[in-house]
Amino acid sequence: MMKTFSIGGIHPNDSKISKDCKIEVLPVPSKVYISVAQHLGAPATPIVKAGDQVKVGQVIAEPAGFISAYVHSSVSGTVKSVGPRKDIAGNNVVHIEIDVEGDEWIEGADLSDTIVTEIPEDDKATLEKIKMCGVVGLGGATFPAHVKLCPPPGSKAECLILNGAECEPYLTSDYRIMLERSKEIVIGAAIMKKVLGGCPAVIGIEENKPEAIKAMSEAVAELQKTAKGYDGISVMSLKKKYPQGGEKQLIDAVMGRQVKSGGLPISVGAVVQNVATSLAVYEAVQKNIPLITNVMTITGDCLPMENQHNYKFRIGMPLSYIAEVAGGIPEEAVKIVSGGPMMGKAIANLDATTVKGSSSLLYLTAEQTVRGVESACIRCGKCAEACPMGLEPFLLNKYARNNMMDELEENAVQDCIECGCCLYSCPANIPLLDIIRIAKGDVIRIIRTRK
Amino acid sequence: MNKLLVSPSPHLHTRTSTKSLMRDVVIAMIPAVIVSVLFYGWAELLVLGVSVASCVLLEYLITKYLLNKPCTVCDMSAVVTGVLLALNLPATTPWWVVFIGAVVAIGVAKMTFGGLGQNLFNPAIVGRVFLLISFPTYMTNWAKPNGFISTAAVDAFTGATPLGIAKEGGVAAVEGLDYMDMLFCNIGGSAGELSALAILAGFVYLLARRVIKPYITLSILATVAVFSGIFWAVNPAEFTGPVFNLLTGGVLLGAVFMATDYVTSPMSNVGGIIFGVGIGLITMLVRYFGAYPEGMSFAILIMNAVVPLINKWCHSKKFGRA
Repeated sequence: MMKTFSIGGIHPNDSKISKDCKIEVLPVPSKVYISVAQHLGAPATPIVKAGDQVKVGQVIAEPAGFISAYVHSSVSGTVKSVGPRKDIAGNNVVHIEIDVEGDEWIEGADLSDTIVTEIPEDDKATLEKIKMCGVVGLGGATFPAHVKLCPPPGSKAECLILNGAECEPYLTSDYRIMLERSKEIVIGAAIMKKVLGGCPAVIGIEENKPEAIKAMSEAVAELQKTAKGYDGISVMSLKKKYPQGGEKQLIDAVMGRQVKSGGLPISVGAVVQNVATSLAVYEAVQKNIPLITNVMTITGDCLPMENQHNYKFRIGMPLSYIAEVAGGIPEEAVKIVSGGPMMGKAIANLDATTVKGSSSLLYLTAEQTVRGVESACIRCGKCAEACPMGLEPFLLNKYARNNMMDELEENAVQDCIECGCCLYSCPANIPLLDIIRIAKGDVIRIIRTRK
Repeated sequence: MNKLLVSPSPHLHTRTSTKSLMRDVVIAMIPAVIVSVLFYGWAELLVLGVSVASCVLLEYLITKYLLNKPCTVCDMSAVVTGVLLALNLPATTPWWVVFIGAVVAIGVAKMTFGGLGQNLFNPAIVGRVFLLISFPTYMTNWAKPNGFISTAAVDAFTGATPLGIAKEGGVAAVEGLDYMDMLFCNIGGSAGELSALAILAGFVYLLARRVIKPYITLSILATVAVFSGIFWAVNPAEFTGPVFNLLTGGVLLGAVFMATDYVTSPMSNVGGIIFGVGIGLITMLVRYFGAYPEGMSFAILIMNAVVPLINKWCHSKKFGRA
């Protein structure tokens, strides 16, 4: 039996239309706007001002707390301004505007294609490099990577899990890097596993990506043969089911352990990092390249095949610019999503720019995405069947609409991971997650004030 | 494209809707409908037509003029109730009795509670039980199956159901019955009780389309089989056996199409099993020791009333909270 997580889950059509599109490098525009809030936690503090000259890879904003991250310039040129600009949701965030001049990199950055397989001995220096290069989790949450790689005292990492599930429909960026940068990803895994004290590492990939499973297995085998420090790394194929890439679900699938409600993955000995994060760790540690690029998918059913792309972008590129380079926005598209269709954000402002965690421009048609009219709950229980956290969305919906906070907490609304399985499954078009999301926020606030 | 649509995630939605689920239930009942029409002829068609038409019409009128709510006829739930009610009545039922059944099913059991999703009891069964108590003569005047063409013969060859015979005459009276006849629709009973195979075909369809889960149906059938098996093993002269009890009366029809009604059955799998065992037990208690030959309808209604309690006890297993 192929492994998967034990509770709930759904099987949406995987729609990996762009899976055979090789990664192309996006040309640099004449101007970039780099956000200082590209990670979970406190926005970084800008350390450049208008008129400053910057190089590619130079630090332009410093972390403003423990959970925060460095931000680097993705281009060389002159800082034009530092000030508020709207992000994809339309919120004002401080951006650093840079006029592009040439492409001059910081010293020490290794831009060659040579793959460095030797893993550095000094763990402290490695961690410092990961932190200094602004590496954050690229699976969606953009949590600073070095924080996850330093387990709190008293806890020990027993397994490093690399998330190659890419369970969201449409997205193919992780798939492409697993095919095109397999070795680098494995080296990144070896680096992280060494920092964590030498625990085994498992690369979890869903069965609908056999080429990726093959490429990653071959990379592991070859590195184990030719270099040191690669023992204990393996590839595990997982049954296709959404949300396999959810942190708790992936740990359950790979290790068969359930993280307790409110607990961290490390409490069951797990550290989870996305395959793209592993690649960023490789670039940071082996090549001295900070996290200023990532791969994003340009896709959608209404997009002609020749306009489907997997792009290597630099942070700070306007989304409207990328859409144009990719061949324009299709007529039928009514909604553009950044991220997957299940958990991604609908873009409100196309003038917003790419951030470290950008993963897609997904064009959806009215027929695909406009919700039907809500009708009465027929108590079919499909939401409860789909919920990967074992919650009862129909019940939480009723409690939330009646403001029954105690009952919401008793029925674990705070455990909701907002994967969207309930709303996806509801035949009556009840906006279950919309309502549960608000209730979850309220209940978490109540729990916090109690402490 | 001028304006971007912005809404919270998820941005995709399943194609399954209330209407598609109800349509699947109707499709699943087609084999049973075809069999009953073939074997009872025009009379059965009339019962079906009156039942479905009046259920749909009543739902339309009540939502539009009494409740002032959006019309819910399009979700097809009234059609399901109509077909189920018809399958639960003898083909000889006069049209006005069928109409009264529909009034009780839709008007009383469904709409007074607030319409689809709010009703505590299965509307079709409430309609049927109301008729059973109010018009016992019509409701026990079971037609013996006859070919489609011989409509006149339906009136001529009325007789008791196998369960009725067993109730009156004891086990000896039903010894001559052929189980193959029961499987292939050659027994007397309400229209939908005719062919076990037709109903099972519907069951398989519902499972394959993931409309229902098997827990409720199988636990009813298992309970009926085990309960009657024990009594029959102890005293085969007094009690009818498991095969007889599974194939007669409304057990199959009820277990597949009525006990599995979303609205009036428990939400969780464990709850479904408790619900099913309860229905099986009550059915057999009525059959062996009660005044009526058949207990399926009563069993489902009684267990419908217990569903809120079952839902309160049985919650799904939560992740990381063992």
